[in-house]
Amino acid sequence: MTPITPMPSALAFELVARCSTTKARAAILTLPHGPVQLPLFMPVATQASLKGLTPQQLEETGCRLCLNNTYHLGLKPGQEVLEKVGGAHKLQGWKHNILTDSGGFQMVSLLKLANITEEGVRFLSPHDGTPMLLTPEHSIALQNTIGSDIIMQLDDVLVTTSPDTKRMREAMERSVRWLDRCIAAHANPTKQNLFCIIQGGLDLQMRTECCKEMVARNTPGIAIGGLSGGEAKADYCRVVNTCTGLLPEMKPRYVMGIGYPEDLVVSVALGADMFDCVWPTRTARFGNAITKHGVLNLRHARYANDFGPVEEGCGCVCCRTGDGGLGITKAFVHHVAAKETVGAHLLTMHNVWYQLALMRSVRQSIIEDRFPAFLKNFFSDLHGGDKSKYPEWAVEALKNVGVDLME
Amino acid sequence: MAASNGFPGAGRKIAFEILSHLDANVAGPRLGKLSIKGRHDVETPNFFAVTSRGVIPHLTPDVISSHTHIGGVHMALEDFVERAMGGTPPVVNCPGPSPLHTFTALPKSLPSLLAPRRTPAVSAPNGNSNSAISIFTSTGFQVLSNKSYISYVENLRPDIAISLADIPYGALPGTKRVAKMGDRTQEWLSQLINEKREEQVIFAPVLPIDYLDQSEYLNNIADEQADEVSGLALYDSNLLPDIPATTAITKLPRLSLDEPSSPRQILRQVSLGMDLFTVPFIGFATDAGIALTFRFPRPLPTGVAISNGVGALQLGVDMWPAVHATSVTPLDTSCSCYTCTSHHRAYVQHLLSAKEMLGWVLLQVHNHHILSEFFAAIRESISSGNFDADCEEFGRIYESELPEKSGQGPRVRGYHFKSEGPSEPKKNRPAWGNLGSDDQEASSKLVPDEPAAELEGKGFAEKMED
Repeated sequence: MTPITPMPSALAFELVARCSTTKARAAILTLPHGPVQLPLFMPVATQASLKGLTPQQLEETGCRLCLNNTYHLGLKPGQEVLEKVGGAHKLQGWKHNILTDSGGFQMVSLLKLANITEEGVRFLSPHDGTPMLLTPEHSIALQNTIGSDIIMQLDDVLVTTSPDTKRMREAMERSVRWLDRCIAAHANPTKQNLFCIIQGGLDLQMRTECCKEMVARNTPGIAIGGLSGGEAKADYCRVVNTCTGLLPEMKPRYVMGIGYPEDLVVSVALGADMFDCVWPTRTARFGNAITKHGVLNLRHARYANDFGPVEEGCGCVCCRTGDGGLGITKAFVHHVAAKETVGAHLLTMHNVWYQLALMRSVRQSIIEDRFPAFLKNFFSDLHGGDKSKYPEWAVEALKNVGVDLME
Repeated sequence: MAASNGFPGAGRKIAFEILSHLDANVAGPRLGKLSIKGRHDVETPNFFAVTSRGVIPHLTPDVISSHTHIGGVHMALEDFVERAMGGTPPVVNCPGPSPLHTFTALPKSLPSLLAPRRTPAVSAPNGNSNSAISIFTSTGFQVLSNKSYISYVENLRPDIAISLADIPYGALPGTKRVAKMGDRTQEWLSQLINEKREEQVIFAPVLPIDYLDQSEYLNNIADEQADEVSGLALYDSNLLPDIPATTAITKLPRLSLDEPSSPRQILRQVSLGMDLFTVPFIGFATDAGIALTFRFPRPLPTGVAISNGVGALQLGVDMWPAVHATSVTPLDTSCSCYTCTSHHRAYVQHLLSAKEMLGWVLLQVHNHHILSEFFAAIRESISSGNFDADCEEFGRIYESELPEKSGQGPRVRGYHFKSEGPSEPKKNRPAWGNLGSDDQEASSKLVPDEPAAELEGKGFAEKMED
């Protein structure tokens, strides 16, 4: 295919450091609402609010880039309201960056009778059964109205575990064609950054082709999509590793839907920069605290009399004591978890802080070129030093980039 | 004319100073200052926020510190002791000099007030006995004896503890029962006074029955226990004019547990000389999606008054209706709270309609702020001698009750209420429908529930030609 004229971009990508062993990188990504430090985890504020936290509290966790879901905002409050209010930043009082997805994923996963044609996603209106169509142009127009700093192309999403190679190829090739339609429809390329989404399931050949096609379109950033759908972790790692090997060095790489701490650190080692997931905030509402020693379900009776902080040494506002810290104990979270929403708010703040702090220390270790040691430490903490408990896929994936966790 | 009930003994932790009172023998509004060692001073009249399981609903402690100016908090022992049957409740094991504060991560500056029961309390099926009352924990009804209440007070060290009162929530007590109420309450108070640590501050309950039926109990407080008791907690504010007007009793701070349902009722109680309040209607308004907008005695000059068309101003605005969907004005244009300075109606309306928890957080911050301002204005008015005229003006300008709620509140939990009969409607809508059933839940928030044309108008998708 013929390369398209370079598209404008509303970001600057500055590579700060490279790990001398793995493919990990540290960078500064400057977006319309300020710089963010890569690698980065982005918490998900689905309906323009991060599950009970005020924008001020979210800011205090260190978050400078969060997600909104286009599908949800398209339904509530809707494009007309967003237009009148002046976009999602103004709606939620958020001074920092926002990334929106295309809405296609939720469309397919939440709506029955949605099917995908070349025109777009067809579905029956659940209200009155009228056949309706959501096209790449609709998705981009909506994201233009939302005004997010990073917008995503509408892609043809298929579960990676689908055995239908023919359908997978069709989805991959259609995603490329839809990218062209998205680029053509994008009204604010100097204010909003359109990211393409690499598809191709678990087929490395197809992923390779897709990378080639999409890199040629020269979008300001690149996402690897279709993962985190129940595929084997080893397959996931192979796909990420293959894609990052084919992507230009000077563009941010975003792996969609990833959020478990061990997935994050391994993906960084494989050369990915940005991640998002609802898990940290969702699990908080179930009373689960993420710590470096694993996830604690604070609703369990064993924590009823545990007067220690949620995580010893944690710097979040809940765990800190003195100087504005709240000194929240596990016993108190146990007391309110699933009974008062404050319990959810407290753990949401802790979990978001944990994820962001994890990525900050990953970044620092890359800059100081001690990321391999960081990885060893991380897995040792997570599994209490018991190497037999290390997940095989992580050991394997890291070996491929030069880190032997077992040594 | 300032009377002071200040730190007489070295062990005393509390002082109440009456700053202005026209005549101690005549009921009337008064200004005061409540000082508790280690906490901020509370200028009265003022209010203590109502908590549930030790938290002000929706507000994390950092939000309380940064965005509210409440006098203190009211906590209920029944919110902490569901594990008492099988051992010690965890709150008792909490280390530190003030376990209740530490356990609930309550900001250090805020005074804590411990009562046996929530306000409002759920009525218990079993009555109280000579030595114990019925309480309602998150796992069901329990018996709380005065002996264990005294030991909880001893262990939890709240800044103020209200002594156990024999109150039959629900049914009106008969004549025989009424006679017992005063006796039991007096007995329980005496036991608490005898066994408590010297520095523990105690408020004596005033029962919601006629003065004559509890005169013996109240006279006993006036004659024998006025030095041991640091305040009165009135379950019925109408008793205030009947309280013996001895100097010792008059100088005590008075807390209302009368659950006023409107600002007018607060004003009435202030005019009788009430000092401290719990105001459950703040939480009711928040959960109903209502932003309180009343000011005392009249709207601020910068405020845009909301009229219902008849002349009287509404006390609050229902934030559910779609008319707010594109309104980028604050909930109340004259308000300086976090919600009004950082957000607008469109956001709050969106959050309520999307059932996002933040909607109630923002309303709770705003509504507590409005009450803080209301009490500040009341103090100002008393101090300038205009209170009666201001009350009259307020009554003329504003409606008497809060607006009706139109939307759904957050989910109600089991310990918040108890069904009173078999035919009661469900308090919560079902959270989940069948996944993948043939009739896709059109009311679920995750699927569009508007007609296709409307969806198209929103730019969400387009209708297909046949």
